[in-house]
Amino acid sequence: MKHEILYPGAFPMVRVELIAGETIKAESGAMVASSPTIDIESKMEGGFLGALSRKLLTGEKFFFQTLRASRGAGEVLLAPTVPGEIVVMELDGLNEYMVQKDGFLAGSESIKIESQMQSLSRGLLGGEGFFILKISGKGSLIVNSFGAIHKIELKPDQEYIVDNSHLVAWSGTTSYHIERAASGWVASFTSGEGFVCRFRGPGVVYIQSRNPGSFGAWVRQFIPVSE
Amino acid sequence: MGSATAPTSPNALCFSDELPSTGLPCHVEISANGLTVRFDEGHGLGELDLPFRVLSVSAGGLNHDQLVVRWGSAPSAQTVYLKDSSLIRAFRSSAPPELVNALDATAATVRRTRSRNRTAWGIAAATIGALMMGIWFSMDLLVGWAVDRIPLNWERRIGESAFQDFLIQHPAVKEGPAVVAVQEITERLIAHIPVNPYTFEIAVVESEVVNAFALPGGYVVVFTALLKEAENAEEVAGVLSHELNHVLERHALQRIVKQLGLVTVVGIIVGDQQGLARLMRQIGVELLSLKFGRSQETEADLTGLQLLHRSRIDPSGMVTFFQRLTKNERGGVEWLSTHPMSAARAQRLEAEISRLPRTAAEPFTFKWNTVQDALRPVAVKG
Repeated sequence: MKHEILYPGAFPMVRVELIAGETIKAESGAMVASSPTIDIESKMEGGFLGALSRKLLTGEKFFFQTLRASRGAGEVLLAPTVPGEIVVMELDGLNEYMVQKDGFLAGSESIKIESQMQSLSRGLLGGEGFFILKISGKGSLIVNSFGAIHKIELKPDQEYIVDNSHLVAWSGTTSYHIERAASGWVASFTSGEGFVCRFRGPGVVYIQSRNPGSFGAWVRQFIPVSE
Repeated sequence: MGSATAPTSPNALCFSDELPSTGLPCHVEISANGLTVRFDEGHGLGELDLPFRVLSVSAGGLNHDQLVVRWGSAPSAQTVYLKDSSLIRAFRSSAPPELVNALDATAATVRRTRSRNRTAWGIAAATIGALMMGIWFSMDLLVGWAVDRIPLNWERRIGESAFQDFLIQHPAVKEGPAVVAVQEITERLIAHIPVNPYTFEIAVVESEVVNAFALPGGYVVVFTALLKEAENAEEVAGVLSHELNHVLERHALQRIVKQLGLVTVVGIIVGDQQGLARLMRQIGVELLSLKFGRSQETEADLTGLQLLHRSRIDPSGMVTFFQRLTKNERGGVEWLSTHPMSAARAQRLEAEISRLPRTAAEPFTFKWNTVQDALRPVAVKG
C-alpha cells in the first residue's frame, strides 16, 4: 500500500495505491473516488458483536469500508468529514496506538482495530468518551484530526499536559491520568480548561490544533433557533 | 551463535533519551543470568548483555499491562517494554527472588488499580440503577404529593376548558325526563359525599355511544345511549357514583401529572405554577381521551359502592350494568373499553356489596320507563 497526502493543510485528501488483490480498511463514507478496478465492500470489523460494540460504545461507524483492488491495481482517494490534517503512521507490530473515536480514517488490511473501555475517570473526564479504538498490528494507519496535527515526542518519564479534547492518538507505551487544569476547582473551570490529561513517556502523542466541542459551541450561536 | 536462536522479528521496544520516542524495535532474550537485547543491524547498537542485578522492573503503558525493564542511571538510562506474555513468564521464572518480588508487587498494584476501576464502574452502575428504581417506585408518592399541591380552582379551570370544548362539539340535552332523572340521581349522590370541595356539573349529551366520563374539577358527562342501555335508575347511579369518585380522588390530575413526568412534579413542588398553566390547558383538551389506571378504577369502584350505599341506592346496579354491557357487547360501547368488566372485578364488587350492611333502598321520584320512553326517537307519522 503506497500512499500520498494530497493538498496538505486544512482540506487534504489521501491517495492510496493498491496492487492487484490488495485491500484497505477505511471509515465508512471516507472514499471520495477510485479506479474502476476497486470494489467497495462493507465489513463488520471484529464480527457482528465487535461491530455492534464499536458502534454503541465508541460511536464509530458500524461498518468499515473495505476497498479491494479485486480487478487489478488501482488507486483510491480518501478524505475525512471534518477539515483538518491527515497523518500516516507505520505500525511495526510492536507499537500500539489508541485513537479517539473520530480519528480513524483508514488502515492496511493487516491492522487490528478493537474498541477498548477506559477507566471511569478517564471516560468521564478525558473527553474521548468511555471507549477508544485500540489499533495494533503491522501496516499503515491513517488518522485525521480537526485542525492541524501536532506530534509530541516523549522520552522515558517525560511528562506533558494536553487539554482533553485535543487528543487524536497516542502510543500504547504512554500512560496518562486526568487532573484539574488549575489547583482549585473554580480556577480549573474559569480558566476554560477544566480537565487536562497528564501524559508520561515514553511514546508519542498526536494532538489536534482545534477542539471540536468548542467549535461546535461557537457555531451554535449563529444558528437561528427554530420555533 | 546467539543469532541462531534469535527470534525472527523484534519482540520488544527499547527506549532511551537518544532513541526515537516511538521506541526502537529490538530482540529480547532471557537466559539464566540475565537479559540479552539485540538490535537490528544498521542501528550500530549491537548487542547488550544485561545481568539481572543491574535491572529494575515496573509496569508501564496505558493499561499498565507491559513489563518495563530498566537499567543504567539517569542520563543514559534505558528501558525495554515487554508485552509478549511468554516473554514476561520467562523473565519471571529466570529472575532472582528480589526481582521477582518487585515484579509481583508491581503486578499486585496493577491488579488493585484494575479492581478499583471495576469497583468504580460497579458503583456508578449500581447508583444509576438505584436512582432509576427509586424514581420508579416513588413515582406514585411523588405524583400524590404534587397533585396535593395543585389548587382546586386550577383543577376547575382545566376541567372547565375541556368540558366547554366538548360541549361545543356535542350539544347538551337541556331538558326532558332524562335530564331531570340524571339531576336527581346526582343530587342524591352528592348530598351523601362526606367532604365535598367540588361543585359538580352534569351534562347529558345526545350520542349513540354508550359512555360517561368525569373531568377534573367536577364535570361529568353522560351520553344518552348509556341511559337507553340501563334497565333501571340504579344502574345509572352505579356509573355516576363511579365517575364522581374519579373526580373526588383527583384521578385525572394524577394521570396528567404522571404523564407530564417528574419535571412537572418538581415544578409544582417548587412552585412554577404560572408557567404550567398554559401547558395544563392544552392537556385539558387531551383529557377527554384519558383512561384511568387499574388501581384508580378499583378505587373508584369501591368508593363508588360506598357512596351508593350511603345514598340508599341499591349498589348491585353497578355490577349488573357492567355485566350486561360486557355480555351484549356489540361495539360502540366506549365505556367498556375504558372500564373492562373482568370476572375478578365483578367478584370484588360483589364481595364488597355483601360486606355492606343491608339498608332499605329509597326509590327515586321518577319512573325509569318514562325516561327511556322520552329517549326513544319519536315515531314519524307517515
